[in-house]
Amino acid sequence: MELAVKNVSKTYGNLLVLNKINLKIDEGQIVCVIGPSGCGKSTLLRLIGGLENPDTGSIEARGIPPSDCLNPLTFIFQDFSLLPWRTVEKNISLVLEDHGLSTSNRNEIIRSVLRRTKLTEFSDRWPRELSGGMKQRVGIARALAVNPSVLLMDEPLSALDSQTSEILLVDLIELWEKQRFTSVYITHNLSEAIRIGHKIVVMSRRPGEIRETVNIDSEIMDREIRNIELEEHLWNLLRDEAMAAEWELENE
Amino acid sequence: MSDKKNNYTTISFRGGGFQFKNNYWISPTVFIVLLLLWHFGSTLGFISNLVLPKPTEVLIAFHDLYVTGDLYLHVGASLKRLILGWTLGTIIGIIIGFAIGLFALVRAGLAPIVAAIFPIPKIALLPLFIIWFGIGELSKINLILFGTLFPTIIATYGAIDNVDRSLIRLGQSFNLSWFSITRKIVFTASLPAILSNMRITAAIAIILIVAAELIAAEKGIGAYIQMAGSLFAIDRLLAGIIILSCMGLIANWLIGLTERKLLKWRNL
Ligand SMILES: Nc1ncnc2c1ncn2[C@@H]1O[C@H](COP(=O)(O)OP(=O)(O)OP(=O)(O)O)[C@@H](O)[C@H]1O
Ligand SMILES: [Mg+2]
Repeated sequence: MELAVKNVSKTYGNLLVLNKINLKIDEGQIVCVIGPSGCGKSTLLRLIGGLENPDTGSIEARGIPPSDCLNPLTFIFQDFSLLPWRTVEKNISLVLEDHGLSTSNRNEIIRSVLRRTKLTEFSDRWPRELSGGMKQRVGIARALAVNPSVLLMDEPLSALDSQTSEILLVDLIELWEKQRFTSVYITHNLSEAIRIGHKIVVMSRRPGEIRETVNIDSEIMDREIRNIELEEHLWNLLRDEAMAAEWELENE
Repeated sequence: MSDKKNNYTTISFRGGGFQFKNNYWISPTVFIVLLLLWHFGSTLGFISNLVLPKPTEVLIAFHDLYVTGDLYLHVGASLKRLILGWTLGTIIGIIIGFAIGLFALVRAGLAPIVAAIFPIPKIALLPLFIIWFGIGELSKINLILFGTLFPTIIATYGAIDNVDRSLIRLGQSFNLSWFSITRKIVFTASLPAILSNMRITAAIAIILIVAAELIAAEKGIGAYIQMAGSLFAIDRLLAGIIILSCMGLIANWLIGLTERKLLKWRNL
């Protein structure tokens, strides 16, 4: 599926958060969005996912999701959002229960996504028994269970320590290699964006506007661990915005 | 931490206290000691029999209650009122609480009325209820129903207001039906608060039933205590009070049991 954000603005009360955003997300492409804190990245993602209404403009999708797709636009949350009263398995089952699948069919899907996210032994655990990395694996497994056309990820790795997030990033890259999902990936980590993005969108501080879009043509699998040059370029773009945003937040 | 640079000293532990180990034998010991103090105080004459009869006399009063079948009569009457009133009040309260918690229109209409009725001491309504429902069972059951209803409504919609919004977002983002979100997310998330409110309403129900029976009843623990009081039969009076304490303890224990069963995801 292919998405287009057309001229979208959003205000909360008197606060203009997003200002005339235009963005195209191609089929099978990962678009990374970076920007200073509070610039409206999460808001943009919620708008794309239909959890929020734009004040002006529209978000449009093209293409028909495959027939086994249960939820075309699927989120992976920064804070994992697992139900504490459901085990790993039941947390995944939650998103399958409303679709009239047979129990065996459901179990089949759950088994498959647990295997793909390396969680098979953890199926009976309560969320409180899992480490952050494991919780996010459950979040990813749950998203994969509905066979999404587009994965909307809001800083999925930023609540994790750097080793765990590196491991999960590699796992995400492998998953993408296999499934070629379309994705909007929000992060504040530049090197993460450079590793996993086909396109990097740099936003300005609030009111969020798109400052620059960088395309990265090399294959995701072939990339170096770091691309210092590009990182520096992006950092130069962000630094002033980030400092100004910081200043504004402190003086709010 | 020491005068000489090269001398190591062990860092002393300072993380103790503020923690409770399970000392299962302490509370029975305290109980027995108090009982013995009472017993010897009474037999040796430190405690006047007019103020406090011997523990054995209270035991005899219990025995009498049991043999004459009055125990069954009074406890049965009170329990019937309690269980009916409390169950109805709790169920209706949870339903109304959910309606207020989920629908803005219902909240706008009902929340102010609930807030206005909630602080009325419900026992003040007994005379009115007697006029409306008669002197019999109905007025007492309704009093308990009323007394448990309002705290339950308030606790329920308070619990719903406190449900983590991000979990509701989660449900919406996966296209769960409204009914699924309500049942699997909102209801389960508010269950701990609803259950702990049940402890409070159980206590309220016991207070109300005794008060109602003290005022107007022939059967029931309250009536029994009232009779004992007017006869200066302190032994029986105490027996009645002990029964009340037991009823409260059993209610609490049952709710604890339910919590452990329904909320096993919470504790380790
Ligand atoms: N529901 C809301 N109501 C009012 N204001 C909101 C709401 N959601 C977000 N905001 C405000 O909109 C602005 C953008 O928020 P958003 O969460 O989209 O930023 P962000 O770029 O994701 O920031 P971060 O990097 O810290 O996650 C912030 O100033 C925030 O306070
Ligand atoms: Mg955010």
